[in-house]
Amino acid sequence: MAAQGLRAQVDSLLLQLLRDLEELEAKRAALNARVEEGWFSLSKARYAMGAKSVGPLQYASRMEPQVCVYTSEAQDGLQKVWVVRASAQTPEEVGPREAALRRRKGLSRTPEPESSPAPRDPLNWFGILVPHSLRHAQASFREGLQLAADMASLQIRIDWGQSQLRGLQEKLKQLEPEST
Amino acid sequence: MLEGAEFYFNVDHGYLEGLVRGCKASLLTQQDYINLVQCETLEDVKIHLQTTDYGNFLANETNPLTVSKIDTEMRKKLCREFEYFRNHSLEPLSTFFTYMTCSYMIDNVILLMNAALQKKSVKEILVKCHPLGRFTEMEAVNIAETPSDLFNAVLVETPLAPFFQDCMSENTLDELNIELLRNKLYKSYLEAFYKFCKNHGDVTAEIMCPILEFEADRRAFIITLNSFGTELSKDDRETLYPTCGKLYPEGLRLLAQAEDFDQMRRVAEHYGVYKPLFEAVGDGSGGKTLEDVFYEHEVQMNVLAFNRQFHYGVFYAYTKLKEQEMRNIVWIAECISQRHRTKINSYIPIL
Repeated sequence: MAAQGLRAQVDSLLLQLLRDLEELEAKRAALNARVEEGWFSLSKARYAMGAKSVGPLQYASRMEPQVCVYTSEAQDGLQKVWVVRASAQTPEEVGPREAALRRRKGLSRTPEPESSPAPRDPLNWFGILVPHSLRHAQASFREGLQLAADMASLQIRIDWGQSQLRGLQEKLKQLEPEST
Repeated sequence: MLEGAEFYFNVDHGYLEGLVRGCKASLLTQQDYINLVQCETLEDVKIHLQTTDYGNFLANETNPLTVSKIDTEMRKKLCREFEYFRNHSLEPLSTFFTYMTCSYMIDNVILLMNAALQKKSVKEILVKCHPLGRFTEMEAVNIAETPSDLFNAVLVETPLAPFFQDCMSENTLDELNIELLRNKLYKSYLEAFYKFCKNHGDVTAEIMCPILEFEADRRAFIITLNSFGTELSKDDRETLYPTCGKLYPEGLRLLAQAEDFDQMRRVAEHYGVYKPLFEAVGDGSGGKTLEDVFYEHEVQMNVLAFNRQFHYGVFYAYTKLKEQEMRNIVWIAECISQRHRTKINSYIPIL
């Protein structure tokens, strides 16, 4: 019967929703742990380097982002969010360019195409010889970034799941008015 | 210099020695630290500090209280005490004080050059410079493009001038070169300070030379440790090691070749002073770091300096102990404000 099929759908949707919620909670706990770790490692770095050596004095108010957030539509119509490092350029054009250079080997070297300079590592704002606690802090915050993107995608999926569930429950109510 | 400082030290410097010993007696005790560790918020920390020698130093701070403000006010207090000592000192103690301020001047110069690289305004950085390292030519530091410019135009009249011998080059000042400049300046400064203390002789040399030797070796170890995994080459690294320590020359040569922490530890094991320090280092995130162990050793040496009289080392030791106290308070305050109390007892008690 139609109602039976609908009920099965509601059940499976609910289970998926609960699974997503559990995953979201786990990711949220992991993100909190990473961020706490990161801030604590920054305190340790301040202890080793001096309290004023790790702070707003060391960075400019304008900065180039190293990591960008991208979204895309997946096939089920949901938006997916992920983070990409700015320096990760696709090397597809290198092949033909290299061949072109090789062919013209005898002639004057063709000027290399202008590539955007690799963004400076923010760790170097604090000097070249930084303590390991500062590196740990950077690693913790980087891990947290990926977690944040995953959490955003999960949150979108959960919201969509919730609205689907509500829709299905409405339909179920209409099909069986006497059972309510 | 004639031996027998006890005959004539007090003529010129007795008042200041008495004063610095009084200041040392007002450093925080173990009981004060226990009280601070039990605080729940930074306001509690402020209240507890009012009962110590710090008094109402945070009275004029607007809400909310941050760790950075506490640190700035503590630094201002230390600076007031230091300036008082310095203004009342006679030669050669005044030169000794000038040597002490050179390390802060080097930090300020590097801070200003980094700010120029980041295109920040000079005025806002000048306010944040270390007060002990102030000198009149500071505002002009950001116009320099190369180290030779910096020397010829700005620093030739300051006490930092003699330390520029190895640093004169035409390379533009980017991050790597600024770091190399900082370390080379500090190396020259430390060697000059060591020579000054050694030439002074008497009790001052007996107290200050071991302290400065330890400082030189500590810098060598820390530079090596922090250079693993960076773009700094081994030859460049070797030029940054100060040569006035126990590690010179064989230890420094071995250290320059080290590629990881275990190799560094093996170099340290040749020296009776450093072997137990490296053994105290815990591995991973559990135990003490190398920097913690070195700070502890430094505190021990500085406290012992007060057991002898009639030498200038008490002033150096007091300043360093006060800085350790500031580090401790900032650490406790950060643990409280981040609500991360597991390592709150990692401070180093002094008295």
